[in-house]
Amino acid sequence: MGKAVANKLGDYLDSFKTCLKIDSAVKGSVTHELRTHLEDRSQELKETGLSEEEANKAAVEFFGSPRLIAQQIYEVHSQGTWQEAFLAALPHLLVAFLFATYYWQNIFWTSITVIVIACTVIYGWCHNKPLWFFPWLGYYLLPVIVTGALLIYLPQGWTWVAALAYLPLALFTIIYIIKQTASRDWLYVSLMLAPLPVACAWLLALGAGDEFLTANVHLARLQPNIPWIALSFLVLAVATFTFTRVKQRWCKVATLLIPVSIVFASVALAGSRNIGFWGWLVLIISLFVVASPAWLQSRA
Amino acid sequence: MSYERELLKGNTDCLLLSLINSQPTYGYQIVKELQQKSNGYFQFKEGTLYPALHRLEKDNLIKGKWQMLPNGQERRYYYITKNGQQVLARRLATWRDFSTAIRSILQSETA
Repeated sequence: MGKAVANKLGDYLDSFKTCLKIDSAVKGSVTHELRTHLEDRSQELKETGLSEEEANKAAVEFFGSPRLIAQQIYEVHSQGTWQEAFLAALPHLLVAFLFATYYWQNIFWTSITVIVIACTVIYGWCHNKPLWFFPWLGYYLLPVIVTGALLIYLPQGWTWVAALAYLPLALFTIIYIIKQTASRDWLYVSLMLAPLPVACAWLLALGAGDEFLTANVHLARLQPNIPWIALSFLVLAVATFTFTRVKQRWCKVATLLIPVSIVFASVALAGSRNIGFWGWLVLIISLFVVASPAWLQSRA
Repeated sequence: MSYERELLKGNTDCLLLSLINSQPTYGYQIVKELQQKSNGYFQFKEGTLYPALHRLEKDNLIKGKWQMLPNGQERRYYYITKNGQQVLARRLATWRDFSTAIRSILQSETA
């Protein structure tokens, strides 16, 4: 009975923590603060003659809905500053810049970009994973995926050997990073993976559908589309900037998924002649991977 | 939403800044003081105080610090910042002007 009474406040705080999707350190501090308040109120009620069970129950009732309070606290902490919003959009701007200036063909500038992304990710990872860090993390995963794709170019026979060795490692890395990101907030998984469907749509639209998977990439098709590629990453930058600045969860979902879906659909439909069955399958899976965490969380 | 609740919502920041300005304090104490000083006029769900406190802290108007009490318990005390004092002074001036204007109109109506 005593344990059940003590658990009344614990259950309330557990429910609050489940609803609150913010940085774990801040969440711990806020929860502790609320616990001290509930304990003070319960103690005061007990001094008026209520039993422990009645006091805890009343303290929780006076306090209000854990879901509503978590939502209001989320709205305070989820809004990034202008600087954070700019930092979050920066990797997309860098990629757009690389394409717009044709620097993507220059190994020096491409290497510099990769190094900047790697260093930023390491810095963000070591500094409690701030909000702006997740779009950078998404680009950090791209080499893992690209390396997997490059295995196709190996001589016949070696592809399977390399894939068997590489795929478990790559999957482990991707799953580990997604798990770490989801532990903070599932919405950040969508934010992190936002470039994936856009990049996939471009790769498949510019390649020759199923032939792309057998290494037949038509680079000549890339040149006239460079401004559009730059523009699509610019749209991602604007979406990320807005995502960081808005407060409500549903607004974050909308500002991220609507632009990504529009860019994705435009590119995929424009290049639909080049996309075969497997290409469409890859595209649908990539969009599903990005949209499902955000969609599920908006309903949670 | 009731009229009283709307009025309270519109003046929450001013009330909180004023209480914290008079002495550093923590959430539960703020609730008690609000109820005592208003003779129970202000009734609200206690948990809704914390989003307001955190918003003020994010706007750099107050600063929260964990402090150990003599009995070994911890409380998060809120201190007003210089920025908070300036904002409070401006809001109090606005409030005085506003209430004077309202009072003068309402008194002439009821006279």
